[in-house]
This record gives sequence, structure tokens and C-alpha cells, in this order.
Amino acid sequence: MSAIAAKPAGNAGAFQPVASVIAIILAVIFIGVAYLLGNTGILSGGAMAPMMTLVGIIVGAALIAFGVHFVPVGGAPAAMGQSPGIATGVAMLATGAGLAGLFGGAWAASLGFGVALAGGAIGGGLMMAITCLMVNISYVYGMGIPAASGKVAKDPITGDSQAEYKSQGTEGHGLPFISYVGGVIGGLFGGLGGTLIYIQLLNFYNASFAAVGIVGEDAPVLAVGLAGIFAIGMFLVIAVLSAYNITGTIEGPHDPKFKRFPRAIVAAICASGICGLVALLVVAVL
Amino acid sequence: MSVKVEASHDGIPHNKVMAMGLILALVSLYIAVAGAFAGYDYLAFFGGIAAVGALIWGNSTIKKLCSYGIGTGVPSAGMLAFGSGVIAMLFAAKLAVISPFLVPIAGLVIALIVGLVLGWISNSVLNMKIPVMTRSIAELAAVGSVALMGLTVVATGHVSFSEITAFNIDILGITVSFYDVSYIGAGIIAVSFMLGAIALQHPFNACLGPGEKQDRTNMLAIECGFLSMIVMAVISFAFVSLVAAWISLVIGLIGWFVSYKKYFALSKRDAAAWLDAKPFSDAEE
Repeated sequence: MSAIAAKPAGNAGAFQPVASVIAIILAVIFIGVAYLLGNTGILSGGAMAPMMTLVGIIVGAALIAFGVHFVPVGGAPAAMGQSPGIATGVAMLATGAGLAGLFGGAWAASLGFGVALAGGAIGGGLMMAITCLMVNISYVYGMGIPAASGKVAKDPITGDSQAEYKSQGTEGHGLPFISYVGGVIGGLFGGLGGTLIYIQLLNFYNASFAAVGIVGEDAPVLAVGLAGIFAIGMFLVIAVLSAYNITGTIEGPHDPKFKRFPRAIVAAICASGICGLVALLVVAVL
Repeated sequence: MSVKVEASHDGIPHNKVMAMGLILALVSLYIAVAGAFAGYDYLAFFGGIAAVGALIWGNSTIKKLCSYGIGTGVPSAGMLAFGSGVIAMLFAAKLAVISPFLVPIAGLVIALIVGLVLGWISNSVLNMKIPVMTRSIAELAAVGSVALMGLTVVATGHVSFSEITAFNIDILGITVSFYDVSYIGAGIIAVSFMLGAIALQHPFNACLGPGEKQDRTNMLAIECGFLSMIVMAVISFAFVSLVAAWISLVIGLIGWFVSYKKYFALSKRDAAAWLDAKPFSDAEE
């Protein structure tokens, strides 16, 4: 029911204290399990290495969930010029930005931790910047509509008034400056988080392969493949959960829906906890 | 609670479709695993049948879940299913060191556990308040895991972690392992990941609307499953014996052709009636 029945589900923005606390406790339990498995020697690298890897994965997932909320998504109404944002779903857009960042970071992985993270963030931000630019070109020159936000009277950055440009009966259209900037910030966070997950897994697999009997000159290539597919899988899970939190369209950081991000971060922490734990167990000594 | 929009009245209830898909998938996977265990890879094509079974089940689940307005579109459900499924499937493959027969059932159980946590998060933490959410996401994760196992079997003939991470060649009686040209090392798993995810989300996304009919949507799911199987069968030429790869390819092609013909016929059946309208006639006539 993509666009036809896209109704906001649940109460918008309501934070669920009980469920959130349970989710955080679950995440702490997953981290504790990683510590215990490391301590008993099932996961190699000692007690701390698996735990720190899992913590890194969770931080990366939280960054992704936060970044997704910056990305302006318009869905099918945006394709018809009836709402601002890029004319596709949250999950697709976040995945595009995240994977572009992931590839950038993976390319720079051998140059050190900081360079890889910067490469990932810039890759994601660049992908979003290009997408936003092309979207605005097709809106302005293709559909002949000016960019106007329907959620705020004045653009929070430029201070330009929006109401004069907004067509009647629409939620706004095009990609206003604030949405553009939000998209790039979202890409930066998404790329950073995705790369952090990938690098944590890559380092852990590289360190653990000898313990499970995978040795050879080309073993690091296998670590790249394994860490890559896990990072993609986890990225999709986090992006879809964040999309469920947004329920449909969001204009960018000035949209009231942006305030829902704490829920998505809690969800990402818990989800990446269990997914990350299973990902670590793949190289367990059985 | 969000409003439920019923797509169609199902001839076969969801639980029955789920049971049929699950049994078809598990039985086929076990046949393929038994074949690999006995040393033959001619039965690898059963992995494709398993993927088709899982996709029929998953398609019914997506239909049930997406009849509530989840606000993000149908494709996101397919991506979530395979995102969590690939993690469960790889861990289950690791358990093959105990017994290869443990892998299919372990993949199912681990995916259900991961999916239950993810479903609970969506429903409670994110406050979606959709009654079928927790169960549906758990089912979808299991579908993703089983379908991915099926496609993996078609491509490599195996489900065990040691076989899908290494390409083994016997040279003068010594087995040499190459990791960089393996199913995972070469990144072929990403291909099966996307093939499966698209095959899972496409059928209901394509058929939804007022004229949606269960048999037509299911037939499209079968067609998408066989289409994915064809690609995996082509890839399998690099991993399994020539005969096994040809068997997979021919069965995939036949399955796709038959299901495509059937889907086409069902689409014609469900298409809106059209009238052979004539141009305006002159008033004098």
C-alpha cells in the first residue's frame, strides 16, 4: 500500500518509556553476552575485543538511525509535485546514501580508521548532495515548480518566506534549501555509521580468522566480503526501522516528525545489538 | 491502531499458505542438503524450489502486513526480511560444523528469534501498534533466511559455512582452498540477497490494488522465484559440476516459462473488461 494508503500509524511522536527501557536493557544484555563469549574463549580476541566491536556496531547503528531522519523523503506525492522531498521511500534513499558511504569507507579502510570514517561520511554526503541537486534540477526545470516548504513559514537557514511560492492544495514542493542541507547531513551520518559498522566487523573478522582455521593470503578478501554483506544487512534493518518511525514522508530537520528520532535511536541500539551479536558468532570457535 | 485496508478476500487462509510454503521449502532444502552430504550436487536445483516455497509464504505475509498502512511502502518489508535473514542464514551455516542437517532448521529458528526482537521493536518501541507486526516481521526474517539458503544451495550446492567461504580444488590429492573466489569472498551473496529481496517484495507491490487476487499474486511470486533461480543457476556454473548447473538452469527456465504463461493468463482473466467502441456515427444513418 505504498502511497495510496500511506497513513501515519501509531501516535505520532509519542515516546514509549517502558518499551524503550526494556529495549536498552536488552541491548545491554547482548553486550554482556558478547563479553561472556569473549571471556570463555568462544569468540577470539579476549573478553574486551568482542564487546568493543559490538559497542562500535551499536554506535554506528545509532548514527544511521539519527541520519535517516535528516533525509528529505517525499514518496509518490513528491513525484507529482505535491510535497517537498525526493520522490522515493526512506529505506531506498537511506540505503543509497549509506551504501555509497560504505563503499567510500571500504575503499579507504586500509588508510586507517579516521580516514576510512571520513571517506565513508563524505561518500554518503556526496551521494545525497548529487541526488538533491538533480532532484531540484528536475523539479525546477522539468516540472516548472519553485521549491517551497509546507511545514515552516520561513526557511530556518536562509530566512526566505515560503508561503508565496507554495501552490494551493499542496504540502509544498521541490527541495527547499533546508531540506537540501538536511539531506547532505543525513548522508554524512549514514555513511559514517555504515562505515563504522563495516570497519568494526572487518577488524574483528581479520583478527578471528586464524582461530577458526581460515588462513592464507586471500583470507582478508573473505573478511571484506563477510563484513560487507553483514554491514549491508544491518544497514537495511536499521534504515527500515527508521522508516517505520518516520511513517512515510519527512521534509528534513525542520519537519515536526524529526522530533521522533529518539525512538529510532533506541530501536537501532536494540536491533543492532542482536544482529551484531549474531554477526560476531559467525566466527565463533565451535 | 492504524486502519486496515483489505486487499482481497483470500481463498486460502494465511496459515495454510504459510504451512504449505514452509513444508515445501524445508523438504526441498533437506533433499538438497542430503544430496550434498552424499556427495552429489545434482540435487542442488531443489534449493530453487525451496526459495519458491519460501517466497509464496513470504508473499502472503507481506500481503497481511501491508494491508495495514505501514506508511513506508511494500519494498521496505522485503529489505528488512533479507537484511535480518542474511545475518541468521550465515550464522546457521556456521552450525554445519556440528551437522549439515542442522542448518535449514537452525536458520529458521535463529531468523525467527531475530525477527521477533525486530518485530517487537517496531510494534512497541516505534509504537506502530499493528496487531500482526511482531509475527509478520518474525515470519519475514525466517522467509529471508530460508529463501537465501535456497538460492545459496542452487549456486554452490552447499549450505555449510566452510563450503560457501572457500572454493576448494583438489590438486594432486591435496585440497587447496581459495577464499577470494568463494560465494562470500567474491560477493556473490550480495547478488542472491538482492534477487531474493526483490522477488519477495515485488509480487504484492505489483498486484496490490482493488483487483488483487490471491492466485495471481502467488503465481507472480512463483515466477519471481524461478527468475531468481535462473540467475543463480548461471552463477552455479562456477561452483558445481556442469551437469548439476545445467539441471538447475533447465528446471529454472521451465519453471519460469510455465509460471509466466499462467501469470499472463491470470492477468488477462483479471483485467478490466473493454468494449469495442465504434467511432461516432452520423445522425442521418
